[in-house]
Amino acid sequence: MTLSLAPPRLLSRLRHPLSLATGAAILTVGVGAVLVVAAGTDPSTAWAALDEGMFGSPYSVGTSLNSAAVLALIATGFSVAHRAGLVNVGGEGQLCAGGLAAAATGLALPVQVPAAVGIPLTLCAGFLGGAGWAWIAALLKTRRGTSEVITTLLLNFVGAGAVSVAVHEEGLLRQQVTSSETLPQSQALAEGARLPLIAGAQSPATAIVVVAAVAVVVTAVVLRYTGTGLKLTSVGHSPAASARLGLPVSRLQEGGLAVAGGLAGLAGACLVASAPYVLAEHFSSGYGFTGLVVGLLARGSLTAVAAVSLLLGFLTSGGINLQLAAGVPASSVQIVQSVLVLLIAAAMLWSNRRAGGTV
Amino acid sequence: MSAVLDELAAGGVRLAVPLLLASAGELLSERAGVLNLSVEGMMLTGAFAGAAGALASGSAVVGVGAAVVAGLVVALLQAVLSVTLRADQIVTGITINALALGGTTYAARLWFGDGGAGSVPGFDPLPVPVLRDIPVLGPALFQQSALGYAAFAVTAVLAVAGARRTTWGLAVDAVGEDATTADRCGLPVRAVRYGVVLLTGATSALAGAQLALSEVHSFSDNLTAGVGYLAVVAVIAGRWRAWPTMLACLFFGTAQALQFAAPALGLHVSAPLLTTLPYVFALLAVSGLVGRSRAPSALTVPFVRGT
Repeated sequence: MTLSLAPPRLLSRLRHPLSLATGAAILTVGVGAVLVVAAGTDPSTAWAALDEGMFGSPYSVGTSLNSAAVLALIATGFSVAHRAGLVNVGGEGQLCAGGLAAAATGLALPVQVPAAVGIPLTLCAGFLGGAGWAWIAALLKTRRGTSEVITTLLLNFVGAGAVSVAVHEEGLLRQQVTSSETLPQSQALAEGARLPLIAGAQSPATAIVVVAAVAVVVTAVVLRYTGTGLKLTSVGHSPAASARLGLPVSRLQEGGLAVAGGLAGLAGACLVASAPYVLAEHFSSGYGFTGLVVGLLARGSLTAVAAVSLLLGFLTSGGINLQLAAGVPASSVQIVQSVLVLLIAAAMLWSNRRAGGTV
Repeated sequence: MSAVLDELAAGGVRLAVPLLLASAGELLSERAGVLNLSVEGMMLTGAFAGAAGALASGSAVVGVGAAVVAGLVVALLQAVLSVTLRADQIVTGITINALALGGTTYAARLWFGDGGAGSVPGFDPLPVPVLRDIPVLGPALFQQSALGYAAFAVTAVLAVAGARRTTWGLAVDAVGEDATTADRCGLPVRAVRYGVVLLTGATSALAGAQLALSEVHSFSDNLTAGVGYLAVVAVIAGRWRAWPTMLACLFFGTAQALQFAAPALGLHVSAPLLTTLPYVFALLAVSGLVGRSRAPSALTVPFVRGT
C-alpha cells in the first residue's frame, strides 16, 4: 500500500463513481460540441435548441418522461433477472411480444369497454405476453442448460419478426386493406384500452410514467426487504449453494427471467396503448436495446435505473429538437449517447479497483 | 422453371456472400471467447468508408482499402474494450453498433449530401467463361464481382487455417475454452483475442464493402440493416463449426432470396416470415433441438491472469 505511486486518497476520489460520471459527461459534452460545430451550427444556438427540446415546454417534458418510463420498465426487469444471476438481453423481443399481446387484447375488446376494465386487461396481456416470451429462454436455460444470453438475443429478432408477420397479414392483426396505400399496421385500439394523459392536454405524458414509477419502487422494495429478494440474490450468487439450502433454484431463475420479460412486455403494452394507439412494425424503436444498456450501466441499483433512464429519455427528445430547430443531424445525439455509454463501460474496471478487491 | 431456380440460387448466394465473409471472422472470434456483437457496426462502417473512399479517389480498390482500415479501427475499439478493459461485451457490442449507425449517418449527411447515389465507382460482375453456363451453379457462383471471388477465397482460407487441426485453430479453441490453462501453457491469450477481433473487423468491413461497392454502388443510412447480427446468428446456428456456419449463411441467403422468387414459383409466403426464419432456425440449433450444440466455455468471459 505504501508503494502506491499517487496519493491514495486522491486516486480513490478520482475513482468514485460520481467523479467518473462527471468526467465522462465532460468528455461527452466535448464530443457533442465538436459534432455541432462540424455540422456548421453555432454552439449556443444548438444548446438553446437542446434545452428547448428537453425542458422548454410541457410537450417536450412529457415526451421525455414517456421515453424515460419505457426505458425504466425494461431496465427494472433486467435488474430483477440480474439479481437471479441471469443476463436478459431479450428486452426488445419481450417488448414486441408484450405489444403484440396487448394489441390483440385491445382490438378484441368491445368498443364500449370502460377504461377501468380495458386498461388493466390490456396491460396484463402485455405483461403476460412478455413473461411468456422470456419463459421460453428460461425453460431452455433450466432444462437444457442453453445460455440465456444467446437465446434471449435470438428471441429479439423472432419477436420483431412476429410483429411484422402479424401486421402484414390481414388474417392476423392488419387493418382492413382498402387501397394499395393502406399501411401495414393494426387498427386503432378500443377507446377504453388507451392510456390516459396525466398532466393535462398540453403534455403527452401518459399513465406509463406512473406505471414505471410504481414498478421501480415495488421492485426496489421486493429485492431489498423481502424473502423473495433474498432468495433471488442467493441464487444469483451461487446456484449450487442455494440448491443445498433447499431453494427451488430452477423456479427462482425462471421466475426472475419471466418477471424481467413481463416488465418489458408491460412497456410494449404501454407503447401500443399510447398515441397513435396502433401496433406497427418497428413500434419498439429500439427501446429494448437501450433499456438493456440502462440496466447494465445501473448495475443492479434501481436508483441508478431511474437516473440513467431519465438522462437518456431527456437527451433523446432534446436531440429530436436539435435537428428540427438547429439543423444538427439527430444522429449526433445517438453518437453522444453511445460515447457516454462506452466511456462508462470502459471506466468500470478502473472504478471497481477503488474497493481494492479483484474485479 | 429453371430460370426461376437459377435466379433463386444466384440471389441466395449473392445475399450469402457478405454473411460468409463476416461470419468467417466472427466464428474465430467467438471460438476464442469474444462475442463481437459489433460485427454490424464494423460492417456498416466498412460500407461507408468503402463508398466514401471509392467516391473520393475514383477507384473501387482504394475504397476496399479504406473499408478495411475503418473496420480495423472499429475492431480495435471493441478489442480494447472487451480484452484490455474487460468491459461487458454485450453492452459494448450493441453500443458500438449504435455509434457506427449514428456516426455513418452523421458523416453521410456531411459528405454525401443527398446520397451521391450512382456516382460511386464499384465492382462489376465478371462472369467466368464456360463455368457460368453450368445450370444453377453457374449463375450462383461464377457471376460474382472481383470482390465476390475474393470473398470466397478469404472465407475458404480462414476456414482451413482456423480449422481445429491447425496450430492456429487449436490455439483459438484453447483460448476460448479455458483461457487460464491456455495462458499457463504459454499461449498469448490477449494477443490471440486481439488478433481474432481485428480479423473480424477486416472481414466484416470487406462484407460491408461488398454490399456498398458490388451491390448497390452507393451508401445509404443503415445500409447493412441487421446483416451483421445475422452473421453472428449464423455462427450460433452453425454451432461454432466452419461447415455448418457456411451452410447456415447459404440457408439464410436463400431464405431471403425466396422472398423475391416466391411469386414466380407461385408460392404465397409472408416476406416477414422468411426474414424471421433464420433466427428461429438458430434458436432450434442452439437449444439442442437440432443436433448437439455447445458454446465455447469462455464466450464473453474476459481473461485476467492470476485468478
